[in-house]
Amino acid sequence: MKNTFAKISPFQVDPEKIMDTFGIRDDDFTAASSQEKESMVEMHKSISFWQDAWRRFRANTVSMVALFVFLLCLVFAFIGPKLIPYTYADQYRSAQKLGPFEYSKSEALVRSVQKSADGFYATALRPGSLTAIAKGDYFVRAGGQTYAFTMAKAAEKSVLLLKAGDPEPLRLVAEKDIENGTYTKYTAMEVSDTPAQGATELKLTRRVFPHVFGTDSQGRDIMARTMYGARVSIIIGIMAALIVLVIGSLYGAISGLCGGVVDFIMMRIVELIYSVPEVLIVLLLQVVLKDPLQMWFQNHSATSAFVRAMSDLGAGIVSIFITFAVLYWVTMARIIRGQVLQLKKQEYVTAATALGASNARIIRKHLLPNCIGPLVITTCLQIPSAIFLESFLSFLGLGVSAPMASLGSLCSDALETISLYPYRLVFPAIVLTIIVLTLNLVGDGLRDALDPRLKK
Amino acid sequence: MGTYILKRIVGSVLILLLIMVVTFLLMNAIPGSPFLTEKSTPEQIAMAEAKYGLDKPLHIQLLNYIKNYLKGDLGTSLKMQEGTPVKNIIFHQGKFVLSIKLGLFALLLAVCLGIPLGCLAAYYRGSWLDGVLRVVTTIGVAIPTFVLAALLLVVFSVKLKWVPTLSGSLTDTKSYILPVISLSSYYTCYIAKLMRTSMLDAINQDYIRTARAKGVKTSGLILKHALRNSLIPVVTYLGPVTAGIITGSFVVESTFSVPGLGKYFVQCVMSRDYPVIMATTVVLSALVIFAMLVVDIAYKIVDPRITLTTKEE
Amino acid sequence: MEENKLLLKVKDLKVSFFTPAGEVKAVDGISYSLGYNEVMGVVGESGSGKSVEAYSIIGLLQNPGRVIGGSIEFEGENLLDYTPEQMRQFRGNKVSMIFQNPMTCLNPVYTIGNQLTEALTCHDKSISKEAARKKAIEMLELVGINNAEKRMNQYPHEFSGGMRQRAMIAMALICSPKLLIADEPTTALDVTIQAQILELMKDLQRKENTSIIFITHNLGVVAEICDRVSVMYAGRIVEQGKVNDIFYRPEHPYTRRLLQSIPRLDETGDERLIPIEGTPIDLLNPPQGCNFGPRCNECMKICLRQKPPFAQVGEDHISACWLHFKDALGKEGANA
Repeated sequence: MKNTFAKISPFQVDPEKIMDTFGIRDDDFTAASSQEKESMVEMHKSISFWQDAWRRFRANTVSMVALFVFLLCLVFAFIGPKLIPYTYADQYRSAQKLGPFEYSKSEALVRSVQKSADGFYATALRPGSLTAIAKGDYFVRAGGQTYAFTMAKAAEKSVLLLKAGDPEPLRLVAEKDIENGTYTKYTAMEVSDTPAQGATELKLTRRVFPHVFGTDSQGRDIMARTMYGARVSIIIGIMAALIVLVIGSLYGAISGLCGGVVDFIMMRIVELIYSVPEVLIVLLLQVVLKDPLQMWFQNHSATSAFVRAMSDLGAGIVSIFITFAVLYWVTMARIIRGQVLQLKKQEYVTAATALGASNARIIRKHLLPNCIGPLVITTCLQIPSAIFLESFLSFLGLGVSAPMASLGSLCSDALETISLYPYRLVFPAIVLTIIVLTLNLVGDGLRDALDPRLKK
Repeated sequence: MGTYILKRIVGSVLILLLIMVVTFLLMNAIPGSPFLTEKSTPEQIAMAEAKYGLDKPLHIQLLNYIKNYLKGDLGTSLKMQEGTPVKNIIFHQGKFVLSIKLGLFALLLAVCLGIPLGCLAAYYRGSWLDGVLRVVTTIGVAIPTFVLAALLLVVFSVKLKWVPTLSGSLTDTKSYILPVISLSSYYTCYIAKLMRTSMLDAINQDYIRTARAKGVKTSGLILKHALRNSLIPVVTYLGPVTAGIITGSFVVESTFSVPGLGKYFVQCVMSRDYPVIMATTVVLSALVIFAMLVVDIAYKIVDPRITLTTKEE
Repeated sequence: MEENKLLLKVKDLKVSFFTPAGEVKAVDGISYSLGYNEVMGVVGESGSGKSVEAYSIIGLLQNPGRVIGGSIEFEGENLLDYTPEQMRQFRGNKVSMIFQNPMTCLNPVYTIGNQLTEALTCHDKSISKEAARKKAIEMLELVGINNAEKRMNQYPHEFSGGMRQRAMIAMALICSPKLLIADEPTTALDVTIQAQILELMKDLQRKENTSIIFITHNLGVVAEICDRVSVMYAGRIVEQGKVNDIFYRPEHPYTRRLLQSIPRLDETGDERLIPIEGTPIDLLNPPQGCNFGPRCNECMKICLRQKPPFAQVGEDHISACWLHFKDALGKEGANA
């Protein structure tokens, strides 16, 4: 290899210029050590599949927001009921047909008392005001003791007594006690913000909680019911998705792994179920299963905890699970079978087979971990579709049975009075829509993050 | 092509038969007699069962039932309209036609609106139009049909009074609007989303690059090369759409008080009028299976590759 | 080569992909020229930027790829100044392209005839249907497809891989372009079919007087068909010269290693094939010095610091490596 300066470069660079532009040093033309060479190569930090997927998911703003909103929905459904003083089944008779943020008369009274301070002063007591205070589960603190106005239905007619000269100044008694003559003398209460002469300070330990979504015709708090309904709907969705996950992935994995005749037969079954109009069958199953299930509950709930749990859920929900187990796993099975067939061709599975690994081991150790992406995506997207189906059935009056509520049944209940009280439909409908929407978006985000085909 | 259609028809008939058998068995699995009411005596029940042939062994009953169905005898209503042949209830009281009309309009709307919207979103991907369409369609597939139906009812009938509250027998055009919109909205949005994805998928295919390298115009790339390919998944989806529209009609017809087959089916299910449930299930299943068949054939027309596989078989 | 006889002149072309992870300099300042009726091979491993460079000539770069510098002159006109519509008219008419995978490059839902005539009609609106069809049949026959009349009405899936590539070639040449870019046209085909397609391309090149840029990683194919060869590594041309020079007098260490890594029939010894160790560099973080430096066993200190300029190592034969400067500059440097 002989080169002369005369021949250097068609792009016209003379040697002096090269010396200048490139800043040639003395030792530049000696061999570089391997350390020097290695230091040149900046290696990318290698990250695991899940780290990579999480990084991509995080980069997806829409999915992250959706995930956050869904978590809020979970808080709403699971922690919310603990934060508000109402439950889904309690009927507050004085608080019927309230609009959002409306108060019943009694609640309004307590609220007006509470407005300026958490304590107020009572010098005398009137039966009317007592009834009012007694209605909403409030506590009054006076004389170092706490007096509860319970929610019991009997309490509605109870009276708060302030007996002159009584060592206990404040007492809650039922109206019948007064009629019976147990208490004959009582003083009416004057409530004020400023202490009058000889007034006792009363402190309410709980504030009036607004009926954020209003109440229904039976005086039930719609927010409490919506929370409860959302919880039922989410649980049903997740359970149904898990059922689909287990059955579908096992079926698909077995079909794909066995291949041959087994695969052929199993796939024909899948095709058959696939072409059955499923919702019709679901409706049929709902009708058919109701009585046998109820009989089964009656006969076995004493002996088996499982049956008791099922019977708590009710025949409607259990038959939803059964229909999912019978009809809805086919998509999952197809996806997993496809994955398995693709993975089966991979060398490491062949290697495992050559080493004498059993089929069960291959499924567990090699195939399922590799199918995890599609499994997660399909399961995640199955949840909203299960919620959809449940709400659809409940809307038709076939899903959950009273006093249980799901978002679908709440919507269905609201439909009867829709022209007068549209908000009764709007709130559960919005919650239902948000849950389905966010789950869809999270599912889409997961697909983008986990699907290697979109990897660039 | 001919053999393929024949094969699919035979398959469809088999599935329908299977559904009939399953429906029959399910109905027979319900404990107690359908005639069992509080007032009826054992003699009355026995008489009634003898009248309807319910005292015979199960397989004979099954055979009779299939035979009768093949002859077009769908049984007699036991509760809803006692003594009336189910066939008359379904086909002669305008229910069937009403539901079919409603469903077809909804299907048409979903296809005619969904496909162009999806194309637009794909073509202008990243633009504000794409963004708006994405938000609308994403919300659209998250709103259950019954919620939308009820909301539309409140807004346009109760508050604005633009359209009648009860759509009734859909005698005028106006009364069609809300049921059709609520029935088709989910599928319109779904098809638009599907179309967008599959269009984007098609745009990234090698053959689009080839066409670009040939110098084909952008409009040609989209309308000729990408559209037909991206229609394939949409066409496949039309089968489930039909099934879904039938299902949706249960809710929509109930909400808008349309006396169609969907509303009627729900009423039967509620009142447990078994012969009617069975007959309606079979008729609706037949409808869905027929739609699937049509879709499969349409699929062949859009995608020429399938023809070869049938030739090879 | 005289300036006015050049068909294509690429000067300091730079193409970058703007990915979320950062700018990837897929093509980092390459220059070459191509005469009429000349076949140039572009050789390199995957990711060396050889396809990207071809796509920027024909204007098929897609987001996030962008030409960020340099010029592409085709018959004296800078293609980078063309409007999209001019570019569209240019594509398929003056320059056309065939791709690697004939299985996916034809639209599955249209007949071969439809796709062939489309190439004609989208550049010449006035051409009648019959004329276009006739021309298409002619082209199919030219590329050696029997029964062309019947084949016109068939769909791509009814063609074998080799047949599809023939159809692709027919489609590319139907407007008699001056330049054909072939992006690994034989890679996806069986070896026997490969030879047939190469033979066909050589034949057509002579008949139609088309220049060809032949992109491949297969050196055997290059020897078969090309007049000149550019060897690319990590977005840069490392060596360029006549095909015989590249094969028999390779100057750049990368080219030499590349040639050592493939079996040769003309040398009878039982010498071992030597693979090139290491992996191509990460284009997101290219090294400061010579891109090949980290994998080169003749690597010097300067190679790690500065990218080498081209050295004229023979007639029409250039190579970018500091080794060529070692004798002259190294000594002088030591003396100073």
